[in-house]
Amino acid sequence: MSFLKRAVLYCFRQRLKTAILFLVLTLIAAFLLTSLAIRDGVRKSTAQVQTAIGGKIELNLDTEGHMGGGEQNQWGTAYYYTGDLITQDIVDAIKKVDGVVDYNSEGTGSYYGAGVDFKYLPAAFDLSYTPYGESSSYTATLSSEKCAHFQRGEYKLVDGRHIQPEDSHTCLISKELADYNHLSVGDQIQMYSLDAEDITSFEIVGIFDGTKGTEGNALTVDEIPANCGYIDYATLFELFQDKIDGYDQLTIFVEDPVNIQNVYDRIAALPELKDKTLKLDINTETYDVVSSPLESLEKLIHTTILFISLVGVAVLTLLLTIWIRGRKREIGILLSIGKNKANILFQIFTETLAVTILSFTSSIPLSYLTAEKAGTFFLSKAAAANAGFHVEVQASYLAPFYLIGILLIAISVLASSWTVVCQKPNDILMKMD
Amino acid sequence: MCIIKVCNVTYSYDGTRTVLRNISAEFEAGNMYAILGPSGCGKTTLLSLLGGLDSPTQGQVIFQGEDIMKQGLAYHRKRHVSFIFQSYNLIDYMTPAENVALTSSLPPLPVLESLGLTKEEAKRNVKKLSGGQQQRVAIARSLACDAKVILADEPTGNLDEDTASSIITILKSCAHEKKKCVIVVTHSNDLAKQADVILRLKKGELKPI
Ligand SMILES: Nc1ncnc2c1ncn2[C@@H]1O[C@H](COP(=O)(O)OP(=O)(O)OP(=O)(O)O)[C@@H](O)[C@H]1O
Ligand SMILES: [Mg+2]
Repeated sequence: MSFLKRAVLYCFRQRLKTAILFLVLTLIAAFLLTSLAIRDGVRKSTAQVQTAIGGKIELNLDTEGHMGGGEQNQWGTAYYYTGDLITQDIVDAIKKVDGVVDYNSEGTGSYYGAGVDFKYLPAAFDLSYTPYGESSSYTATLSSEKCAHFQRGEYKLVDGRHIQPEDSHTCLISKELADYNHLSVGDQIQMYSLDAEDITSFEIVGIFDGTKGTEGNALTVDEIPANCGYIDYATLFELFQDKIDGYDQLTIFVEDPVNIQNVYDRIAALPELKDKTLKLDINTETYDVVSSPLESLEKLIHTTILFISLVGVAVLTLLLTIWIRGRKREIGILLSIGKNKANILFQIFTETLAVTILSFTSSIPLSYLTAEKAGTFFLSKAAAANAGFHVEVQASYLAPFYLIGILLIAISVLASSWTVVCQKPNDILMKMD
Repeated sequence: MCIIKVCNVTYSYDGTRTVLRNISAEFEAGNMYAILGPSGCGKTTLLSLLGGLDSPTQGQVIFQGEDIMKQGLAYHRKRHVSFIFQSYNLIDYMTPAENVALTSSLPPLPVLESLGLTKEEAKRNVKKLSGGQQQRVAIARSLACDAKVILADEPTGNLDEDTASSIITILKSCAHEKKKCVIVVTHSNDLAKQADVILRLKKGELKPI
């Protein structure tokens, strides 16, 4: 009788053991497949996040040692930056650098405006320096969409559109301020700037949400986030023609964050930037905020996969060891009728292999179900930013999965039966009688 | 004609406790041998050496003129000898027919039927057979494999007198009709008397009676 037939007989006659082995292996296999699917889901969404966010390079004013000697005015001593500004020439040069996909400038507090025909949400103190009441601060920007608050997902546009580079006399205001003044997209508002000593009109092109309420213990109106909005740079330049002739900050967006260093080097080498008092830095903040939870999740899954594999092999070896102890007599008999060690090992391996293949196969549909469930669970936990998070068992890892599984099972079989099979047949048989 | 013999065989467990001391004996086909001796004198040890379950510390076991070590013990067990144990040693997840088929590709039913098992019994699980029936299955397995030497270690130890003598009768016919060399270890003098040659193992020496 061949070892194959013996193996088949064993599997069918020892149904309980076969069933236990089947269940254990199916569970382990389904766990592993699910983990693999999650890992790939995480990888894919990390890649998506990488391309969605891209990398960022910051160009800033190097204020150190370029703040002048100070100037007396009615408020005290004022220091003004005396170094280079980021001129349109520089921006145009950077725009053309290979790998740069976009840019933005975000001048927080570049413009202070008092509401001529609208009111700010009130703060604790009323500091009305202007004939039109208090002033709140505005961020001047080329593309409001690329401003930090919107990038981090704190602010969301709820109506209208974002400010774009070619805009002039446009603004974004918060939903709370809009509601407070019954304003909506398309309305014109007028603001008075103390610095420019001028009234300017702006069109509300968009309304954003996310400023988190009007309450709090703000001392001045501009400490209430809802009072602070965005305006385009063109208007700022128009208002301060003689004072401002460049941006004080520029964010450069790079398509592929992996190669960000190359792009950085190319920008740094631009003749337009030579000997300018400007600082160029790689900014990975937003990228890290979004992708680090995904990376740690991937690490966790790797550990899980390793852990399940080890536990799987351990459980299997333990189970087989116990069972093989109970099969000592059978092994002794087989040795006494002249079956060699390899023949007996092959039998045990075939038995386990047959059950393994069956379990692996039935674990595939099972893992499809669990992967889907796990996907929704992790999506809710990991908040994988704007990128989609999709978990799916792929056909591509079935072949290596089977191969590695079979290898591990061979190891388990060998580890559990080696000591018994290698005993002298006499020792096995003598101890039985 | 001598088919299997031991030449100056010494055996000691762990290299210290000598069980068999310089034993030589020849066994012929067509004969049934009975080996008698007090408990612990080394009868089972001698059988396991003859059957290639172990190798002697000194000396040789010769089968048809060739040292059994030459082709390997597993080969010797597979081709030349077969065992019958006191505890039957059948594989418990197989039927009698399947147990017999372990050693032979011939149909197992005729052998089992010739030993008195019914067709139904031949397809039952071996655990559901009586001791005598199980021992018959073990004998059938020995006969089916075509080995020339049958080594039986107290084959009737667990059986009642009547069954025991019927088993001995079967073994005897194996020797006489099938021209096998049957070596039986037993404690029973009555059964030993049915053998063609009776040997006594005592204090490590083997002597004919
Ligand atoms: N594996 C072993 N290790 C050490 N000593 C052993 C081993 N097997 C048997 N012995 C010893 O060898 C001696 C002979 O044992 P053996 O089983 O051959 O005796 P036996 O004649 O078959 O006895 P019985 O009639 O009780 O079956 C005994 O003293 C026994 O204690
Ligand atoms: Mg004995």
